[in-house]
Amino acid sequence: MRVPARVFADEVLLAAIARDRSLVQLQNVATLPGIVEAALGMPDMHQGYGFPVGGVAATDATDGVVSPGGVGYDINCGVRLLALPLAAAELGGRVEALVHEISRAIPAGAGKEGGLRPGAAAFDRLLAFGPRVLVDELGIGTEDDLERTESRGCLDGADPAAVSERARTRGARQVGTIGSGNHFIELQRVDRIIDAAAAACFGLAQGQATVLIHSGSRGLGHQVCTDYVHTMLAVAPRYAIVLPDLELACAPLGSSEGRAYLAAMAAAANFAWANRQAMTHLIRRSVERVLGAEAAAGTRQVYDVAHNIAKLERHGGRLVCVHRKGATRAFAGDSVEIPAAYRGVGQPVFIPGSMGTSSYVLAAEPGAMERSFGSTCHGAGRALSRTAARRRIGGAELRRQLAAQGIVVRCPSNSGLAEEAPFAYKDVDRVVAVVERAGLARRVARLRPLGVVKG
Amino acid sequence: MSTHTFAEHVGEVEIVLEAESETDLLREALAAFRELLGACGDGEPASHAVELLPGTPAELLWGWLDELMYLAEVEDFVPERATVIDFAHGGLRAIVRGVHGHPRHLVKAVTLHDLAAAVEGGTWHGRVVLDV
Repeated sequence: MRVPARVFADEVLLAAIARDRSLVQLQNVATLPGIVEAALGMPDMHQGYGFPVGGVAATDATDGVVSPGGVGYDINCGVRLLALPLAAAELGGRVEALVHEISRAIPAGAGKEGGLRPGAAAFDRLLAFGPRVLVDELGIGTEDDLERTESRGCLDGADPAAVSERARTRGARQVGTIGSGNHFIELQRVDRIIDAAAAACFGLAQGQATVLIHSGSRGLGHQVCTDYVHTMLAVAPRYAIVLPDLELACAPLGSSEGRAYLAAMAAAANFAWANRQAMTHLIRRSVERVLGAEAAAGTRQVYDVAHNIAKLERHGGRLVCVHRKGATRAFAGDSVEIPAAYRGVGQPVFIPGSMGTSSYVLAAEPGAMERSFGSTCHGAGRALSRTAARRRIGGAELRRQLAAQGIVVRCPSNSGLAEEAPFAYKDVDRVVAVVERAGLARRVARLRPLGVVKG
Repeated sequence: MSTHTFAEHVGEVEIVLEAESETDLLREALAAFRELLGACGDGEPASHAVELLPGTPAELLWGWLDELMYLAEVEDFVPERATVIDFAHGGLRAIVRGVHGHPRHLVKAVTLHDLAAAVEGGTWHGRVVLDV
Protein backbone atom coordinates (compact mmCIF):
# COMPACT_ATOMS: atom_id res chain seq x y z
CA MET A 1 0.00 0.00 0.00
CA ARG A 2 1.31 3.43 -0.94
CA VAL A 3 -1.14 5.24 1.37
CA PRO A 4 -3.47 4.17 4.20
CA ALA A 5 -7.00 2.95 3.61
CA ARG A 6 -9.52 4.91 5.69
CA VAL A 7 -13.21 4.10 6.23
CA PHE A 8 -15.98 6.35 7.54
CA ALA A 9 -18.32 4.05 9.47
CA ASP A 10 -19.72 3.19 12.86
CA GLU A 11 -19.35 -0.24 14.45
CA VAL A 12 -22.51 -1.66 12.90
CA LEU A 13 -21.74 -0.48 9.38
CA LEU A 14 -18.10 -1.53 9.70
CA ALA A 15 -19.26 -5.03 10.64
CA ALA A 16 -21.48 -5.09 7.54
CA ILE A 17 -18.62 -3.80 5.39
CA ALA A 18 -16.31 -6.48 6.77
CA ARG A 19 -18.65 -9.25 5.63
CA ASP A 20 -17.60 -8.86 1.98
CA ARG A 21 -14.27 -8.15 0.28
CA SER A 22 -14.59 -4.39 0.15
CA LEU A 23 -11.88 -3.75 2.75
CA VAL A 24 -9.40 -5.85 0.75
CA GLN A 25 -10.46 -3.98 -2.37
CA LEU A 26 -9.85 -0.67 -0.61
CA GLN A 27 -6.36 -1.85 0.37
CA ASN A 28 -5.76 -2.72 -3.29
CA VAL A 29 -6.86 0.77 -4.33
CA ALA A 30 -4.24 2.13 -1.92
CA THR A 31 -1.56 0.53 -4.16
CA LEU A 32 -2.45 2.56 -7.26
CA PRO A 33 0.48 4.57 -8.66
CA GLY A 34 0.25 8.21 -7.70
CA ILE A 35 -2.55 7.83 -5.13
CA VAL A 36 -2.37 10.58 -2.53
CA GLU A 37 -3.28 10.83 1.14
CA ALA A 38 -5.55 7.77 1.54
CA ALA A 39 -7.94 5.40 -0.17
CA LEU A 40 -11.29 6.32 1.33
CA GLY A 41 -14.36 4.20 2.05
CA MET A 42 -17.76 5.71 2.64
CA PRO A 43 -20.20 4.21 5.18
CA ASP A 44 -22.30 2.62 2.42
CA MET A 45 -19.27 0.81 1.02
CA HIS A 46 -19.67 -2.69 -0.36
CA GLN A 47 -17.80 -5.00 -2.67
CA GLY A 48 -17.46 -3.91 -6.27
CA TYR A 49 -15.08 -4.86 -9.06
CA GLY A 50 -11.53 -3.76 -8.33
CA PHE A 51 -12.67 -0.65 -6.46
CA PRO A 52 -15.29 -1.06 -3.77
CA VAL A 53 -18.59 0.72 -4.36
CA GLY A 54 -18.46 3.68 -2.00
CA GLY A 55 -14.76 4.24 -2.65
CA VAL A 56 -12.87 7.48 -3.26
CA ALA A 57 -9.29 7.76 -4.52
CA ALA A 58 -7.36 10.84 -5.61
CA THR A 59 -4.32 10.40 -7.84
CA ASP A 60 -1.73 13.04 -8.54
CA ALA A 61 -2.35 14.76 -11.86
CA THR A 62 1.35 14.71 -12.72
CA ASP A 63 2.44 11.17 -11.94
CA GLY A 64 -0.77 9.38 -11.05
CA VAL A 65 -3.05 7.04 -12.96
CA VAL A 66 -6.68 6.99 -13.99
CA SER A 67 -8.61 3.75 -13.56
CA PRO A 68 -11.94 3.02 -15.27
CA GLY A 69 -12.69 0.68 -12.37
CA GLY A 70 -12.46 3.68 -10.07
CA VAL A 71 -15.42 5.19 -11.87
CA GLY A 72 -17.40 2.02 -12.42
CA TYR A 73 -19.29 0.56 -15.33
CA ASP A 74 -22.22 2.95 -15.12
CA ILE A 75 -20.32 6.17 -15.79
CA ASN A 76 -22.09 9.17 -14.22
CA CYS A 77 -24.72 7.11 -12.59
CA GLY A 78 -26.31 9.83 -10.53
CA VAL A 79 -29.32 11.35 -8.90
CA ARG A 80 -31.53 14.30 -9.87
CA LEU A 81 -34.20 15.79 -7.61
CA LEU A 82 -37.20 17.69 -8.96
CA ALA A 83 -39.52 19.72 -6.74
CA LEU A 84 -43.17 20.02 -7.74
CA PRO A 85 -44.97 23.28 -6.97
CA LEU A 86 -47.50 21.64 -4.72
CA ALA A 87 -47.87 19.64 -1.55
CA ALA A 88 -48.14 15.86 -1.77
CA ALA A 89 -51.50 16.17 -0.02
CA GLU A 90 -52.78 18.12 -3.01
CA LEU A 91 -52.13 15.11 -5.24
CA GLY A 92 -55.03 13.41 -3.51
CA GLY A 93 -56.13 10.40 -5.53
CA ARG A 94 -53.85 11.30 -8.43
CA VAL A 95 -50.69 9.61 -7.09
CA GLU A 96 -51.37 6.37 -8.93
CA ALA A 97 -52.25 8.23 -12.13
CA LEU A 98 -49.02 10.25 -12.01
CA VAL A 99 -46.84 7.22 -11.32
CA HIS A 100 -48.60 5.33 -14.08
CA GLU A 101 -48.13 8.21 -16.51
CA ILE A 102 -44.41 8.45 -15.71
CA SER A 103 -44.05 4.68 -16.21
CA ARG A 104 -45.75 4.98 -19.61
CA ALA A 105 -43.58 7.91 -20.66
CA ILE A 106 -40.20 6.57 -19.60
CA PRO A 107 -39.10 3.10 -20.69
CA ALA A 108 -37.66 0.93 -17.93
CA GLY A 109 -35.37 -2.08 -18.04
CA ALA A 110 -31.85 -2.47 -19.39
CA GLY A 111 -31.67 -1.96 -23.13
CA LYS A 112 -35.18 -0.56 -23.44
CA GLU A 113 -35.45 2.13 -26.06
CA GLY A 114 -36.28 5.74 -25.38
CA GLY A 115 -38.48 8.18 -27.20
CA LEU A 116 -35.58 10.39 -28.23
CA ARG A 117 -33.66 9.18 -31.27
CA PRO A 118 -31.00 11.77 -32.05
CA GLY A 119 -29.34 11.36 -35.43
CA ALA A 120 -25.63 10.64 -35.65
CA ALA A 121 -24.58 14.30 -35.68
CA ALA A 122 -26.88 15.23 -32.81
CA PHE A 123 -25.68 12.17 -30.91
CA ASP A 124 -22.08 13.35 -31.24
CA ARG A 125 -23.10 16.77 -29.94
CA LEU A 126 -24.84 15.12 -26.96
CA LEU A 127 -21.60 13.30 -26.17
CA ALA A 128 -19.56 16.47 -26.55
CA PHE A 129 -21.84 18.96 -24.79
CA GLY A 130 -24.46 17.01 -22.80
CA PRO A 131 -27.93 18.37 -22.00
CA ARG A 132 -27.05 21.83 -23.36
CA VAL A 133 -27.81 20.33 -26.80
CA LEU A 134 -31.30 19.24 -25.69
CA VAL A 135 -32.03 22.68 -24.25
CA ASP A 136 -30.70 24.67 -27.24
CA GLU A 137 -31.78 22.46 -30.14
CA LEU A 138 -34.94 20.76 -28.91
CA GLY A 139 -36.22 23.05 -26.18
CA ILE A 140 -35.99 20.19 -23.70
CA GLY A 141 -35.27 21.71 -20.31
CA THR A 142 -34.26 25.16 -19.18
CA GLU A 143 -31.16 27.21 -18.42
CA ASP A 144 -32.06 26.80 -14.76
CA ASP A 145 -31.88 23.00 -15.15
CA LEU A 146 -28.35 23.35 -16.51
CA GLU A 147 -27.34 25.79 -13.78
CA ARG A 148 -28.53 23.27 -11.16
CA THR A 149 -26.54 20.35 -12.60
CA GLU A 150 -23.04 19.35 -11.50
CA SER A 151 -20.54 20.88 -13.95
CA ARG A 152 -23.59 22.31 -15.76
CA GLY A 153 -24.00 18.86 -17.28
CA CYS A 154 -20.85 19.02 -19.39
CA LEU A 155 -17.36 17.75 -18.64
CA ASP A 156 -14.60 19.46 -20.58
CA GLY A 157 -12.52 17.35 -22.91
CA ALA A 158 -15.29 15.01 -24.01
CA ASP A 159 -14.38 13.47 -27.34
CA PRO A 160 -17.05 11.48 -29.20
CA ALA A 161 -14.29 9.91 -31.31
CA ALA A 162 -12.95 8.20 -28.20
CA VAL A 163 -16.25 6.31 -27.81
CA SER A 164 -16.36 3.00 -29.67
CA GLU A 165 -18.96 2.15 -32.29
CA ARG A 166 -20.20 -0.65 -30.04
CA ALA A 167 -20.80 1.84 -27.24
CA ARG A 168 -22.62 4.23 -29.58
CA THR A 169 -24.83 1.43 -30.85
CA ARG A 170 -25.80 0.51 -27.30
CA GLY A 171 -26.53 4.10 -26.35
CA ALA A 172 -28.15 5.41 -29.51
CA ARG A 173 -31.68 4.34 -28.58
CA GLN A 174 -31.42 4.80 -24.82
CA VAL A 175 -31.71 8.57 -24.35
CA GLY A 176 -34.56 9.11 -21.90
CA THR A 177 -34.60 5.62 -20.33
CA ILE A 178 -34.15 4.53 -16.71
CA GLY A 179 -32.34 1.23 -17.16
CA SER A 180 -32.56 -1.72 -14.82
CA GLY A 181 -31.07 -2.94 -11.55
CA ASN A 182 -31.29 -0.39 -8.77
CA HIS A 183 -32.35 2.48 -11.05
CA PHE A 184 -35.68 4.11 -10.42
CA ILE A 185 -37.88 7.18 -10.50
CA GLU A 186 -39.62 7.88 -7.23
CA LEU A 187 -42.51 10.20 -6.44
CA GLN A 188 -42.04 11.43 -2.89
CA ARG A 189 -43.24 13.66 -0.11
CA VAL A 190 -40.94 15.85 1.99
CA ASP A 191 -41.56 14.04 5.23
CA ARG A 192 -39.35 16.03 7.56
CA ILE A 193 -37.37 19.24 7.39
CA ILE A 194 -34.20 19.04 9.46
CA ASP A 195 -32.33 22.20 8.38
CA ALA A 196 -35.01 24.79 7.62
CA ALA A 197 -32.68 27.42 6.18
CA ALA A 198 -30.96 25.01 3.80
CA ALA A 199 -34.28 23.43 2.80
CA ALA A 200 -35.68 26.87 1.98
CA CYS A 201 -32.58 27.63 -0.08
CA PHE A 202 -33.07 24.37 -2.01
CA GLY A 203 -36.76 25.24 -2.49
CA LEU A 204 -38.07 22.40 -0.32
CA ALA A 205 -40.95 22.69 2.15
CA GLN A 206 -42.61 20.31 4.58
CA GLY A 207 -45.07 18.07 2.76
CA GLN A 208 -43.95 19.10 -0.74
CA ALA A 209 -44.10 16.63 -3.60
CA THR A 210 -40.77 15.72 -5.21
CA VAL A 211 -39.48 13.34 -7.87
CA LEU A 212 -36.10 11.62 -7.56
CA ILE A 213 -34.42 10.16 -10.67
CA HIS A 214 -31.64 7.58 -10.28
CA SER A 215 -30.05 6.52 -13.55
CA GLY A 216 -26.83 6.74 -15.55
CA SER A 217 -25.18 6.37 -18.93
CA ARG A 218 -26.88 3.08 -19.80
CA GLY A 219 -25.27 0.64 -22.21
CA LEU A 220 -22.99 3.35 -23.61
CA GLY A 221 -21.22 3.96 -20.31
CA HIS A 222 -20.91 0.26 -19.58
CA GLN A 223 -19.29 -0.29 -22.97
CA VAL A 224 -16.87 2.60 -22.49
CA CYS A 225 -15.75 1.09 -19.19
CA THR A 226 -15.43 -2.39 -20.69
CA ASP A 227 -13.47 -1.08 -23.68
CA TYR A 228 -10.96 0.87 -21.61
CA VAL A 229 -10.47 -1.76 -18.89
CA HIS A 230 -9.25 -4.04 -21.69
CA THR A 231 -7.17 -1.31 -23.33
CA MET A 232 -5.44 -0.54 -20.05
CA LEU A 233 -4.85 -4.19 -19.19
CA ALA A 234 -3.06 -4.57 -22.50
CA VAL A 235 -0.71 -1.64 -21.88
CA ALA A 236 -0.11 -2.10 -18.14
CA PRO A 237 3.27 -3.84 -18.69
CA ARG A 238 4.43 -0.92 -20.86
CA TYR A 239 4.00 1.38 -17.88
CA ALA A 240 5.37 -1.18 -15.39
CA ILE A 241 2.03 -1.25 -13.60
CA VAL A 242 1.47 -4.35 -11.48
CA LEU A 243 -2.21 -4.91 -10.72
CA PRO A 244 -3.51 -6.68 -7.63
CA ASP A 245 -6.87 -7.05 -9.40
CA LEU A 246 -7.62 -6.99 -13.14
CA GLU A 247 -10.54 -4.61 -12.59
CA LEU A 248 -8.06 -2.05 -11.23
CA ALA A 249 -6.62 -1.69 -14.74
CA CYS A 250 -5.22 1.81 -15.09
CA ALA A 251 -2.87 3.98 -17.12
CA PRO A 252 -0.94 7.17 -16.38
CA LEU A 253 -3.14 10.25 -16.64
CA GLY A 254 -0.75 11.73 -19.17
CA SER A 255 -0.53 8.63 -21.36
CA SER A 256 -2.43 8.34 -24.63
CA GLU A 257 -4.60 5.60 -23.09
CA GLY A 258 -5.31 7.65 -19.96
CA ARG A 259 -6.22 10.72 -21.99
CA ALA A 260 -8.42 8.69 -24.33
CA TYR A 261 -10.28 7.17 -21.39
CA LEU A 262 -10.86 10.58 -19.80
CA ALA A 263 -12.21 11.87 -23.12
CA ALA A 264 -14.54 8.87 -23.52
CA MET A 265 -15.58 8.95 -19.88
CA ALA A 266 -16.43 12.65 -20.17
CA ALA A 267 -18.55 11.87 -23.25
CA ALA A 268 -20.36 9.11 -21.36
CA ALA A 269 -20.88 11.45 -18.40
CA ASN A 270 -22.37 14.08 -20.70
CA PHE A 271 -24.60 11.39 -22.19
CA ALA A 272 -25.83 10.45 -18.70
CA TRP A 273 -26.69 14.07 -17.88
CA ALA A 274 -28.55 14.32 -21.18
CA ASN A 275 -30.37 11.10 -20.33
CA ARG A 276 -31.55 12.49 -16.98
CA GLN A 277 -32.45 15.77 -18.70
CA ALA A 278 -34.58 13.87 -21.23
CA MET A 279 -36.31 12.02 -18.40
CA THR A 280 -36.92 15.31 -16.63
CA HIS A 281 -38.68 16.53 -19.76
CA LEU A 282 -40.81 13.38 -19.91
CA ILE A 283 -41.69 13.73 -16.22
CA ARG A 284 -42.77 17.33 -16.75
CA ARG A 285 -44.99 16.16 -19.61
CA SER A 286 -46.47 13.51 -17.31
CA VAL A 287 -47.07 16.14 -14.64
CA GLU A 288 -48.80 18.28 -17.26
CA ARG A 289 -51.10 15.43 -18.31
CA VAL A 290 -52.10 14.56 -14.77
CA LEU A 291 -51.81 17.82 -12.83
CA GLY A 292 -51.95 20.51 -15.49
CA ALA A 293 -49.67 22.92 -17.33
CA GLU A 294 -49.09 25.19 -14.34
CA ALA A 295 -47.77 22.31 -12.22
CA ALA A 296 -45.50 21.19 -15.05
CA ALA A 297 -44.12 24.69 -15.60
CA GLY A 298 -43.44 25.00 -11.87
CA THR A 299 -41.61 21.67 -11.61
CA ARG A 300 -38.11 22.83 -10.74
CA GLN A 301 -34.82 21.01 -10.68
CA VAL A 302 -33.20 21.13 -7.23
CA TYR A 303 -29.91 19.61 -8.39
CA ASP A 304 -28.31 16.77 -10.34
CA VAL A 305 -25.17 15.12 -9.03
CA ALA A 306 -23.06 12.18 -10.19
CA HIS A 307 -21.83 9.35 -8.00
CA ASN A 308 -19.68 7.41 -10.53
CA ILE A 309 -17.13 9.75 -12.05
CA ALA A 310 -13.50 10.87 -12.17
CA LYS A 311 -12.67 14.58 -12.24
CA LEU A 312 -9.58 16.73 -12.15
CA GLU A 313 -9.93 18.94 -9.08
CA ARG A 314 -7.69 20.99 -6.86
CA HIS A 315 -7.52 19.85 -3.26
CA GLY A 316 -5.04 21.18 -0.72
CA GLY A 317 -3.40 23.23 -3.46
CA ARG A 318 -2.70 20.10 -5.51
CA LEU A 319 -4.29 19.08 -8.80
CA VAL A 320 -5.60 15.53 -8.47
CA CYS A 321 -7.87 13.16 -10.33
CA VAL A 322 -10.63 12.29 -7.88
CA HIS A 323 -12.23 8.91 -8.59
CA ARG A 324 -15.68 8.64 -7.02
CA LYS A 325 -17.21 5.21 -7.40
CA GLY A 326 -20.49 5.06 -5.57
CA ALA A 327 -19.56 8.31 -3.87
CA THR A 328 -21.12 11.73 -4.36
CA ARG A 329 -19.30 14.98 -4.89
CA ALA A 330 -19.92 17.19 -1.84
CA PHE A 331 -18.53 20.69 -2.25
CA ALA A 332 -18.97 23.12 0.60
CA GLY A 333 -20.81 26.42 0.40
CA ASP A 334 -17.73 28.48 -0.46
CA SER A 335 -17.07 26.58 -3.69
CA VAL A 336 -17.48 28.43 -6.96
CA GLU A 337 -18.30 25.07 -8.55
CA ILE A 338 -21.81 25.00 -7.10
CA PRO A 339 -24.81 27.08 -8.22
CA ALA A 340 -24.70 30.67 -6.99
CA ALA A 341 -28.06 30.17 -5.27
CA TYR A 342 -26.57 27.46 -3.04
CA ARG A 343 -23.35 29.22 -2.03
CA GLY A 344 -23.13 29.67 1.68
CA VAL A 345 -25.34 26.63 2.22
CA GLY A 346 -23.42 23.87 0.45
CA GLN A 347 -23.97 21.67 -2.56
CA PRO A 348 -27.10 19.51 -2.38
CA VAL A 349 -26.43 15.77 -2.04
CA PHE A 350 -29.15 13.15 -2.48
CA ILE A 351 -28.99 9.83 -0.70
CA PRO A 352 -31.63 7.37 -1.86
CA GLY A 353 -32.67 4.75 0.65
CA SER A 354 -34.77 1.96 -0.77
CA MET A 355 -38.38 1.43 -1.79
CA GLY A 356 -40.41 1.73 1.36
CA THR A 357 -37.83 3.66 3.35
CA SER A 358 -36.56 7.22 3.37
CA SER A 359 -34.21 9.12 1.13
CA TYR A 360 -32.28 12.15 2.33
CA VAL A 361 -31.32 15.57 1.04
CA LEU A 362 -28.02 16.64 2.52
CA ALA A 363 -25.88 19.77 2.22
CA ALA A 364 -22.14 19.40 1.83
CA GLU A 365 -20.00 20.55 4.75
CA PRO A 366 -16.47 21.98 4.83
CA GLY A 367 -15.28 18.74 6.43
CA ALA A 368 -15.71 16.99 3.09
CA MET A 369 -13.14 19.32 1.54
CA GLU A 370 -10.74 18.58 4.41
CA ARG A 371 -11.25 14.85 4.84
CA SER A 372 -12.70 13.21 1.71
CA PHE A 373 -11.66 15.20 -1.38
CA GLY A 374 -15.10 16.82 -1.39
CA SER A 375 -16.99 13.53 -1.34
CA THR A 376 -19.63 11.74 0.66
CA CYS A 377 -21.76 8.59 0.49
CA HIS A 378 -24.23 7.79 -2.30
CA GLY A 379 -26.93 5.53 -0.89
CA ALA A 380 -27.81 2.92 1.62
CA GLY A 381 -25.65 0.24 -0.01
CA ARG A 382 -26.72 -3.34 -0.54
CA ALA A 383 -26.72 -5.69 2.43
CA LEU A 384 -28.17 -8.82 0.77
CA SER A 385 -27.45 -10.50 -2.54
CA ARG A 386 -30.13 -10.42 -5.22
CA THR A 387 -30.60 -14.17 -4.82
CA ALA A 388 -31.03 -13.85 -1.07
CA ALA A 389 -33.56 -11.05 -1.52
CA ARG A 390 -35.58 -13.15 -3.98
CA ARG A 391 -35.53 -16.07 -1.56
CA ARG A 392 -37.02 -13.93 1.20
CA ILE A 393 -39.87 -12.39 -0.74
CA GLY A 394 -41.67 -12.69 -4.06
CA GLY A 395 -42.30 -9.67 -6.24
CA ALA A 396 -46.08 -10.00 -5.96
CA GLU A 397 -45.95 -10.13 -2.16
CA LEU A 398 -43.62 -7.12 -2.08
CA ARG A 399 -46.05 -5.20 -4.28
CA ARG A 400 -48.81 -5.99 -1.78
CA GLN A 401 -46.69 -4.92 1.18
CA LEU A 402 -45.72 -1.64 -0.46
CA ALA A 403 -49.31 -1.01 -1.49
CA ALA A 404 -50.33 -1.52 2.14
CA GLN A 405 -47.93 1.33 3.00
CA GLY A 406 -49.59 3.45 0.34
CA ILE A 407 -46.67 3.14 -2.11
CA VAL A 408 -47.60 2.66 -5.76
CA VAL A 409 -45.17 0.45 -7.71
CA ARG A 410 -44.62 0.08 -11.43
CA CYS A 411 -41.96 -2.49 -12.35
CA PRO A 412 -41.80 -4.68 -15.47
CA SER A 413 -40.34 -7.64 -13.57
CA ASN A 414 -41.52 -9.29 -10.34
CA SER A 415 -38.12 -10.84 -9.72
CA GLY A 416 -36.40 -7.52 -10.41
CA LEU A 417 -38.70 -5.90 -7.89
CA ALA A 418 -37.96 -8.53 -5.24
CA GLU A 419 -34.21 -8.03 -5.72
CA GLU A 420 -34.64 -4.40 -4.71
CA ALA A 421 -36.71 -5.11 -1.57
CA PRO A 422 -36.10 -2.63 1.26
CA PHE A 423 -34.51 -5.26 3.52
CA ALA A 424 -31.83 -5.92 0.85
CA TYR A 425 -30.28 -2.54 1.75
CA LYS A 426 -28.43 -1.16 4.74
CA ASP A 427 -30.09 1.30 7.08
CA VAL A 428 -29.92 4.65 5.28
CA ASP A 429 -30.52 6.54 8.55
CA ARG A 430 -27.34 5.05 9.98
CA VAL A 431 -25.32 5.80 6.81
CA VAL A 432 -26.43 9.41 6.82
CA ALA A 433 -25.77 9.77 10.54
CA VAL A 434 -22.15 8.72 9.98
CA VAL A 435 -21.44 11.28 7.26
CA GLU A 436 -23.05 13.95 9.42
CA ARG A 437 -20.92 13.03 12.44
CA ALA A 438 -17.84 12.97 10.23
CA GLY A 439 -18.62 16.50 9.07
CA LEU A 440 -18.90 15.53 5.39
CA ALA A 441 -22.51 16.63 4.94
CA ARG A 442 -25.48 17.55 7.10
CA ARG A 443 -29.10 16.45 6.86
CA VAL A 444 -31.50 18.94 5.32
CA ALA A 445 -34.68 16.98 4.64
CA ARG A 446 -36.10 13.46 4.63
CA LEU A 447 -38.19 12.21 1.71
CA ARG A 448 -40.74 9.38 1.88
CA PRO A 449 -41.84 7.44 -1.21
CA LEU A 450 -45.37 7.71 -2.56
CA GLY A 451 -44.74 5.75 -5.71
CA VAL A 452 -41.86 4.19 -7.58
CA VAL A 453 -41.12 3.29 -11.18
CA LYS A 454 -38.45 0.60 -11.17
CA GLY A 455 -36.13 -0.22 -13.98
CA MET B 1 -22.98 -33.63 -17.43
CA SER B 2 -22.84 -29.81 -17.40
CA THR B 3 -24.23 -27.61 -14.64
CA HIS B 4 -24.53 -23.97 -13.78
CA THR B 5 -25.47 -22.27 -10.53
CA PHE B 6 -25.94 -18.66 -9.52
CA ALA B 7 -23.69 -17.98 -6.54
CA GLU B 8 -24.39 -15.55 -3.74
CA HIS B 9 -22.94 -12.18 -4.66
CA VAL B 10 -23.94 -8.89 -3.10
CA GLY B 11 -25.39 -6.68 -5.79
CA GLU B 12 -24.37 -8.69 -8.84
CA VAL B 13 -24.90 -12.03 -10.54
CA GLU B 14 -22.17 -14.66 -10.35
CA ILE B 15 -22.37 -17.77 -12.54
CA VAL B 16 -20.50 -20.92 -11.55
CA LEU B 17 -20.08 -23.48 -14.33
CA GLU B 18 -18.99 -27.11 -14.58
CA ALA B 19 -18.69 -29.15 -17.76
CA GLU B 20 -16.85 -32.06 -19.31
CA SER B 21 -15.28 -29.99 -22.07
CA GLU B 22 -14.55 -26.40 -22.94
CA THR B 23 -17.24 -26.58 -25.61
CA ASP B 24 -19.79 -27.72 -23.07
CA LEU B 25 -18.63 -25.01 -20.66
CA LEU B 26 -19.57 -22.37 -23.24
CA ARG B 27 -22.87 -24.11 -23.99
CA GLU B 28 -23.64 -24.12 -20.26
CA ALA B 29 -22.72 -20.44 -20.00
CA LEU B 30 -25.22 -19.79 -22.79
CA ALA B 31 -27.87 -21.75 -20.88
CA ALA B 32 -27.20 -19.73 -17.72
CA PHE B 33 -27.35 -16.47 -19.63
CA ARG B 34 -30.59 -17.55 -21.31
CA GLU B 35 -32.08 -18.17 -17.88
CA LEU B 36 -31.36 -14.58 -16.89
CA LEU B 37 -33.30 -13.27 -19.88
CA GLY B 38 -36.59 -14.57 -18.42
CA ALA B 39 -39.70 -15.43 -20.39
CA CYS B 40 -39.15 -13.74 -23.74
CA GLY B 41 -42.11 -14.75 -25.89
CA ASP B 42 -41.88 -16.46 -29.24
CA GLY B 43 -40.20 -14.30 -31.83
CA GLU B 44 -38.86 -14.90 -35.30
CA PRO B 45 -36.08 -17.51 -35.46
CA ALA B 46 -32.66 -15.99 -35.90
CA SER B 47 -29.01 -16.95 -35.83
CA HIS B 48 -25.81 -15.05 -35.25
CA ALA B 49 -22.20 -15.87 -35.95
CA VAL B 50 -19.81 -15.21 -33.08
CA GLU B 51 -16.09 -14.85 -33.69
CA LEU B 52 -13.57 -14.26 -30.94
CA LEU B 53 -9.86 -13.53 -31.24
CA PRO B 54 -7.39 -15.99 -29.73
CA GLY B 55 -7.31 -15.94 -25.96
CA THR B 56 -7.12 -18.02 -22.81
CA PRO B 57 -10.15 -20.14 -21.89
CA ALA B 58 -11.15 -17.44 -19.39
CA GLU B 59 -10.89 -14.74 -22.04
CA LEU B 60 -12.99 -16.80 -24.44
CA LEU B 61 -15.64 -17.36 -21.76
CA TRP B 62 -15.68 -13.60 -21.14
CA GLY B 63 -15.89 -12.80 -24.85
CA TRP B 64 -18.63 -15.37 -25.40
CA LEU B 65 -20.90 -13.91 -22.74
CA ASP B 66 -20.03 -10.34 -23.74
CA GLU B 67 -21.21 -11.08 -27.28
CA LEU B 68 -24.43 -12.74 -26.08
CA MET B 69 -25.10 -9.76 -23.79
CA TYR B 70 -24.54 -7.31 -26.66
CA LEU B 71 -26.86 -9.25 -29.01
CA ALA B 72 -29.57 -9.42 -26.35
CA GLU B 73 -29.39 -5.69 -25.67
CA VAL B 74 -29.03 -4.39 -29.21
CA GLU B 75 -30.83 -7.05 -31.28
CA ASP B 76 -33.26 -8.38 -28.66
CA PHE B 77 -31.74 -11.74 -29.55
CA VAL B 78 -32.60 -14.62 -27.25
CA PRO B 79 -29.98 -17.34 -27.68
CA GLU B 80 -31.28 -20.91 -27.47
CA ARG B 81 -28.33 -23.07 -28.49
CA ALA B 82 -24.94 -23.01 -30.14
CA THR B 83 -24.93 -25.30 -33.14
CA VAL B 84 -21.24 -24.92 -33.96
CA ILE B 85 -18.39 -24.15 -31.60
CA ASP B 86 -14.99 -24.29 -33.21
CA PHE B 87 -11.79 -23.39 -31.35
CA ALA B 88 -9.80 -22.58 -34.44
CA HIS B 89 -6.30 -21.10 -33.97
CA GLY B 90 -6.90 -20.42 -30.27
CA GLY B 91 -9.94 -18.28 -30.97
CA LEU B 92 -13.59 -19.16 -31.32
CA ARG B 93 -16.08 -19.40 -34.13
CA ALA B 94 -19.65 -20.28 -33.33
CA ILE B 95 -23.16 -20.13 -34.68
CA VAL B 96 -25.81 -19.27 -32.12
CA ARG B 97 -29.44 -19.97 -32.90
CA GLY B 98 -32.39 -18.46 -31.10
CA VAL B 99 -35.23 -16.02 -31.60
CA HIS B 100 -35.80 -12.28 -31.63
CA GLY B 101 -37.96 -11.70 -28.57
CA HIS B 102 -38.34 -9.45 -25.58
CA PRO B 103 -35.51 -10.50 -23.27
CA ARG B 104 -35.22 -9.11 -19.78
CA HIS B 105 -32.15 -6.95 -20.24
CA LEU B 106 -30.72 -7.46 -16.80
CA VAL B 107 -27.05 -7.88 -17.68
CA LYS B 108 -25.18 -4.67 -18.47
CA ALA B 109 -21.57 -5.85 -18.52
CA VAL B 110 -19.48 -8.98 -18.19
CA THR B 111 -16.73 -8.26 -15.70
CA LEU B 112 -13.23 -9.62 -15.15
CA HIS B 113 -13.93 -9.91 -11.43
CA ASP B 114 -12.95 -13.45 -10.32
CA LEU B 115 -13.16 -14.56 -13.96
CA ALA B 116 -11.95 -18.14 -14.37
CA ALA B 117 -12.13 -21.01 -16.82
CA ALA B 118 -9.82 -23.99 -16.51
CA VAL B 119 -9.78 -27.77 -16.50
CA GLU B 120 -9.05 -29.57 -13.25
CA GLY B 121 -9.24 -33.30 -12.67
CA GLY B 122 -10.85 -33.77 -16.07
CA THR B 123 -13.65 -31.31 -15.35
CA TRP B 124 -13.91 -27.81 -16.75
CA HIS B 125 -14.75 -25.13 -14.18
CA GLY B 126 -15.82 -21.60 -14.97
CA ARG B 127 -16.77 -18.53 -12.96
CA VAL B 128 -17.95 -15.15 -14.21
CA VAL B 129 -19.56 -12.13 -12.55
CA LEU B 130 -22.11 -10.11 -14.49
CA ASP B 131 -22.82 -6.46 -13.76
CA VAL B 132 -26.57 -5.96 -13.45
